[in-house]
Amino acid sequence: MKEPRLGVFICHCGGNISDVVDVEKVRQAVEGAPGVKVAQTHMFTCSEAAQQEMIRLIREHDLNGLVIASCSPRLHQETFRQMARRAGLNPYRYVQVNIREQCSWAHPHHPGEATRKAVALVKGGIARALRARSLEPIVIKTRPEAMVIGAGIAGLEAALGLSRMGIKVHLVEKEDRPGGLLRDRGPIFPTDQKGRELVEHLWREIHRDANIRTYFRSHLCGKEGVVGDFRLKICRDGEEKEIRAGAIVVATGARPHTPQPGEWGYGSEGVCTLYEFLLHLAEHPEEKPLFYRGRRVRRLVYVYCVGSREPAGEKARTYCSRYCCTAALYTACLVHSRWPEVTQVHLYRDIRSYGKYEKYYRRALGYGSVFVRYSPQSPPEIHPGGRLRVRVRDLLTAKQEIELEADLVCLVTGLEPVHSPELLEHLKLPVGKEGFFQEVHPKLRPVETMADGVFICGCAQGPRTAEESAASGLAAAAKVGALLLAGEVKREPLVAEVIEERCDGCGECVAACPYGALELSGDRVRVRESLCKGEGACVPVCPQEALQVRGYEHETIKALIDSLAEGLADA
Amino acid sequence: MIRLRPEWRRIFEARERDLDARRCFNCGTCTTLCPLGLKVLPREIFRYALLGAEEKLRENREAVYACLLCRLCEVNCPQGVKITEVIRLLRVYLAEEDLEVRP
Repeated sequence: MKEPRLGVFICHCGGNISDVVDVEKVRQAVEGAPGVKVAQTHMFTCSEAAQQEMIRLIREHDLNGLVIASCSPRLHQETFRQMARRAGLNPYRYVQVNIREQCSWAHPHHPGEATRKAVALVKGGIARALRARSLEPIVIKTRPEAMVIGAGIAGLEAALGLSRMGIKVHLVEKEDRPGGLLRDRGPIFPTDQKGRELVEHLWREIHRDANIRTYFRSHLCGKEGVVGDFRLKICRDGEEKEIRAGAIVVATGARPHTPQPGEWGYGSEGVCTLYEFLLHLAEHPEEKPLFYRGRRVRRLVYVYCVGSREPAGEKARTYCSRYCCTAALYTACLVHSRWPEVTQVHLYRDIRSYGKYEKYYRRALGYGSVFVRYSPQSPPEIHPGGRLRVRVRDLLTAKQEIELEADLVCLVTGLEPVHSPELLEHLKLPVGKEGFFQEVHPKLRPVETMADGVFICGCAQGPRTAEESAASGLAAAAKVGALLLAGEVKREPLVAEVIEERCDGCGECVAACPYGALELSGDRVRVRESLCKGEGACVPVCPQEALQVRGYEHETIKALIDSLAEGLADA
Repeated sequence: MIRLRPEWRRIFEARERDLDARRCFNCGTCTTLCPLGLKVLPREIFRYALLGAEEKLRENREAVYACLLCRLCEVNCPQGVKITEVIRLLRVYLAEEDLEVRP
């Protein structure tokens, strides 16, 4: 092995570190240590000027290892890896030591101790850098094919978006028709287009598209392989079929909440959910006067937030479904315009007709809808009978009790997640506390999941309007496009490796790996690198110490521990 | 107990094509600005009118007649409701009832 030549750089972080940790003392403690050729401090190591200086030093001293003591690797590991690459140094010969979060921020009142700890950590980092190896990312060729699960508005839009980019699409739907929640619907906001027609329009395009194959009455029943090249199984009528795809878009949707019989008067004649009422309106758009299941409707009462925003508790739906206020207001406008003789009363908690949807609230007010605000402590009581009687306390007249009669009470319910254990098992998708699939970050990475190559969109990740579902479907398509059209995926090479001469093929590790990345071949274990996530579950179970994760080799970890201990003893 | 009868408003709507009181969203700007220290404040009167709480209006006829029609509320109403028009309609309604001349 070449003689080690390390550069050690310690960051002030503009005072974030140096106000507590004596960085000069840390520098002196490591200067001249075996293998250390350069030791410097910088006000901001991440600044372009400091990076240029470090690049110059790496080249000038022909450094073959690098330690930077600064912030968390979460923040700048990638910054400095790229810097190393620019200097012609293999990025995996760079080690980041965190003396901000772990020293100056954690121990602001003990500067002496914080400095001691920083010295020990930097020495540990040096021990790692001395043993670092040059590594190259694992490259996986991608297939320009994707699977979209769910043929609702989000799935249909995603499929079309992918096809337009030249990606072959396998569209899998559990029912025998496309359309999801919009299939049998009349006009929807904000376009006033009929849901049914929108679905038909999209479906015609998909049908014409040679790039998209659709599988009805089918569901996912197996997943193998890696991002860029999955081997997926779908089941249809008990028959299995294998499909290969580079990425998966989950657009499995949600379902409208239906109250239990008796809750909010549900189950009695004249009480329905908004979704049921909308389906009825779609079926009888021109009927005059307005009837609902044989009842003449002169007065229509909406109750908002049914089964939503419940007080915390087990299985409570504490969340707001965000689309239902607007949906109810839009329905009221529809009824006002077709059946102006119908009086409509809205019992609400808070109106959330956000953004431009405010126009439906104003329009409903203008049409003469009456709004009564109730408090969750005294929800409306609905008494069944020939004419329904509704009692509620109106917050806008100092909680006076109001009684009104109604022909139809429409419960405005939200959306709830559809639980699909199979999908969870095969895709290992994280689920949020509300039961919907969870994205990595709602604003910054809104359709990506923790599972590589699996994207989510539409109501599967939370309640939303049709407009928002379509937009997120297209967003998922764009992300899949960016992944697959690049031709290859690069992954961290910090994966498990087998020390051949120690392995006796006992197979203990094969069972320990949650990703199925290990397999026995002959009397040795083999790592399928593209499957391995480098999490190291296999390392401690191996009785022969024959498995290690690159970058965290047995020797490296032992040396790290020794030097941490020494560092503390010295300082 | 208020018996809610929004249909009652149609009495007004028959006289005045566009009863713009229904645009009221109960913000209470009118009440804050009212120079009269009324026991029942404009927002509440309006609320009763919107809900069709006829009895409540009758109970509070003093307030309806006390209004100065100064329009301080009207020029500041964020929804542009012609408040004094509505107050006058309410007065007409109550007067007709007192004199038993309702058509």
